Amino acid sequence: MSILESQSAASSLTEKMNVENMDVFYGSFRAIKSANLKIPDRRVMALIGPSGCGKSTFLRALNRMHDLTAGARVTGTVTLDGTDIYGADVDPVTVRHRIGMVFQRPNPFPKSIYENVVYGPRIHGENNRATLDEICERSLKQAALWDEVKDRLQRSALDLSGGQQQRLCIARVLAVNPEVILMDEPASALDPIATSKIEDLIGELKKDYTVVIVTHSMQQAARISDFTTFFLLGDLVEVGTTSDIFTRPKDKRTEDYITGRYG
Amino acid sequence: MAEAIVSTVASRGRLSSDRARSRRALDRFMTGVLWTAASSIVLLLLVFIGYEFVQGWSEISWHFLTGYPSASDAGGGIGPEIFNSFYILFLTLIFTVPISIGAGVYLQEYAGSGRFRDLVQFSAESLATVPSIVMGLFGLLIFVQTFHWHFTAIGGALTLTLLNLPALMRVTQEALGSVSDTFREASMGLGATKWQTVVKVILPSAIGPLTTGIVLVSGRIFGETAALVFTAGASVSYGKSAYDFNPFHTAETLAVHLWSTHREALVPDADQIANGSALVLLVMVLIFNIVARVVGRQLTIRLTGKS
Repeated sequence: MSILESQSAASSLTEKMNVENMDVFYGSFRAIKSANLKIPDRRVMALIGPSGCGKSTFLRALNRMHDLTAGARVTGTVTLDGTDIYGADVDPVTVRHRIGMVFQRPNPFPKSIYENVVYGPRIHGENNRATLDEICERSLKQAALWDEVKDRLQRSALDLSGGQQQRLCIARVLAVNPEVILMDEPASALDPIATSKIEDLIGELKKDYTVVIVTHSMQQAARISDFTTFFLLGDLVEVGTTSDIFTRPKDKRTEDYITGRYG
Repeated sequence: MAEAIVSTVASRGRLSSDRARSRRALDRFMTGVLWTAASSIVLLLLVFIGYEFVQGWSEISWHFLTGYPSASDAGGGIGPEIFNSFYILFLTLIFTVPISIGAGVYLQEYAGSGRFRDLVQFSAESLATVPSIVMGLFGLLIFVQTFHWHFTAIGGALTLTLLNLPALMRVTQEALGSVSDTFREASMGLGATKWQTVVKVILPSAIGPLTTGIVLVSGRIFGETAALVFTAGASVSYGKSAYDFNPFHTAETLAVHLWSTHREALVPDADQIANGSALVLLVMVLIFNIVARVVGRQLTIRLTGKS
């Protein structure tokens, strides 16, 4: 039973992305096995599972980041608004423009705060200073970082704290106006206060964006996500509303993981 | 079982023993040996510089540094030679920098791992092992004899380009390799193309080590002799002025002048001129090394905001 079908009566969900029969190979190793998943628009989808289960591999296949990894290969279809992003005439650069990514470790460029935020708009051809200023302010406000940095936009981004750097990276993604934001354990390198700021931010973002987030913390998945998908050893085991997954998992393996049997 | 563990812990826990004392003595002795090896490098440099200064200082004068060399009388200067050294360095960098950075960027960012990459790498390494005198004879054959350019600044510069391409390509590869992959991912993740990523993120991040590498290679070009004797020639231009910007005129550099003065010794003060030239050459190359460090660090701070 599809989560979209089961939920549509209650909250009128539309499908943003659809993954069908996806396999990911690293050389001859099959890291993801025939995964199927519908990702609803403007909701938070959490991907959970033990280390090495393939959740990050799955996430990176959603905006063709595997194109950059030698030896990695993706088969099956991944659609964005009905178009296969792996289609022959699709430009991977455009795919990554529409589907942004926030990484595990904050990775601001060694440039000023301002230049970090406007990097995306600049490479997509925006050169008007006033427009860039506007995008910078809007993105930093959306990422709840504006008040902390508005007086030092020209300072190096590397002088910010880890939590601020990660919010800057989120602002940098927001600046290119993506439709989907992929997050690969965005808070795992941060302290608890910075983590809770990121979590609050994700709650705000889902009003305008579709968010898919990999997390190793089940508590985090429970706090921030609407839907949860459980991976184990390259299998997409189960998907459902977050409350269902955590209270009434259908699969024995999901239950074992939720109750702490895989550690 | 438990007793055995306790006794092991007890014997390990004794805070002084003969064995421990002798181990510590050896440790201290070896630290001293290694320190001596390291400091001998500093000492050698100081002795060498000191010797050159003692030998050459008395020769240095404004006339010596700017005057024309003399064919037979005493009192010749090295002005045109200093000019030629910089001029040939400049010409060489014009050819070397774009090609070696281009090749280095291709190998590091585009090539992945494949046959062509291995071929370029192997060619560069082979080129790097060619002795400079052999490269000089090759330059003689091509530029001087086949092209009929005779001894020219440009022939010398092209020969030096062949000689220094591999080193600068290596420098580029290492500089780019030092840039974290997370920057590449971040940039591509924002929808940048590979070229945009290279130009806007990778090269600016690598500018410090890149500049340091270029200046260090410049020092080597500045001091190169064997490759230039048969290509740029061992005499200064006899055109309108010995300070000659025409790249198709002969151009003896300071290093070549040092060698030729010693070899031919036609002037009575050949030894003094050689000592003075050696000192100037040494100081110039030292300046290159210091500039390399300072500029590299400043550029890194300026462009990345981090020391």
